[in-house]
Amino acid sequence: MSDAAPAIFVALEGTALAATIRQSPYAYMAANVAHILSLMIFFGAVAVMDLRLVGFFQSTWPGSLLRRTRLIAILGFIGLVLSGSMLFLAEASHVILNQVFQIKLLLIALALANIAWFEKSVAPRVRDLQPHTPLPVRARLIGMTSIVIWLTVAACGRLIAYF
Amino acid sequence: MMKPLLAALATLALAGGGALAHHGWGSYDASKPITVDGTILTSKYENPHATITVKAPDKVWTVTLAPTSRMINRGATRDMVAVGKTVSAYGYASTVEKDEMRAERITVDGKTVEMR
Repeated sequence: MSDAAPAIFVALEGTALAATIRQSPYAYMAANVAHILSLMIFFGAVAVMDLRLVGFFQSTWPGSLLRRTRLIAILGFIGLVLSGSMLFLAEASHVILNQVFQIKLLLIALALANIAWFEKSVAPRVRDLQPHTPLPVRARLIGMTSIVIWLTVAACGRLIAYF
Repeated sequence: MMKPLLAALATLALAGGGALAHHGWGSYDASKPITVDGTILTSKYENPHATITVKAPDKVWTVTLAPTSRMINRGATRDMVAVGKTVSAYGYASTVEKDEMRAERITVDGKTVEMR
């Protein structure tokens, strides 16, 4: 327990749920496994979406491809948030002060803003496009940004333990 | 064809294993192993790592052990590292945290268990 952390995080770490995660021989391990499996599902879907935006898989219908992969990405993201919350809760007062974790949170916020920008300004314009139709330049930019940010988020996640 | 490749990969895995098997070893001074002997004052049998504090002759050490699932697997139960037990922990002092060390192995009541 770190007293340097804001009280809310000390309190979170002190909850019965947090104690259960720490004291169970399996919960923390299971959350770790669930986190990386969710990440694979999430990034698998995200990579397909982003590569389509960047210019790969031009023979596919962008609207239909994005609709299907979006669902998988959302499921993966829910798994990431749930398992990540468990890992965070167990050591909340320490992890919140970890600079790599802080960078990770910031990057996640940026990536989500990037998605919001895409859904608002690009998705409606590419929904009904035919295969082999050039996408707006903005789509390419958003796709590349997304891949780079999410890979950096993953690297930060792994690096929390080392800083 | 595959055998040399597999052998090379296995060698790499084993060679890297020592240093990379667990995060956190980078901030411990592996060039100067120490042994901390004493009575266990507090014991947290929790994940991600169990920790005990040990009253050694020189000072009270915080000794970081291993994930509890691994310790259970290897016979280092909650009782083995309970408060009041006499422990001998071989490992490395932290280069970051004062008076903290990470145990490579611990011995309690004549029983030695590897922590990584």
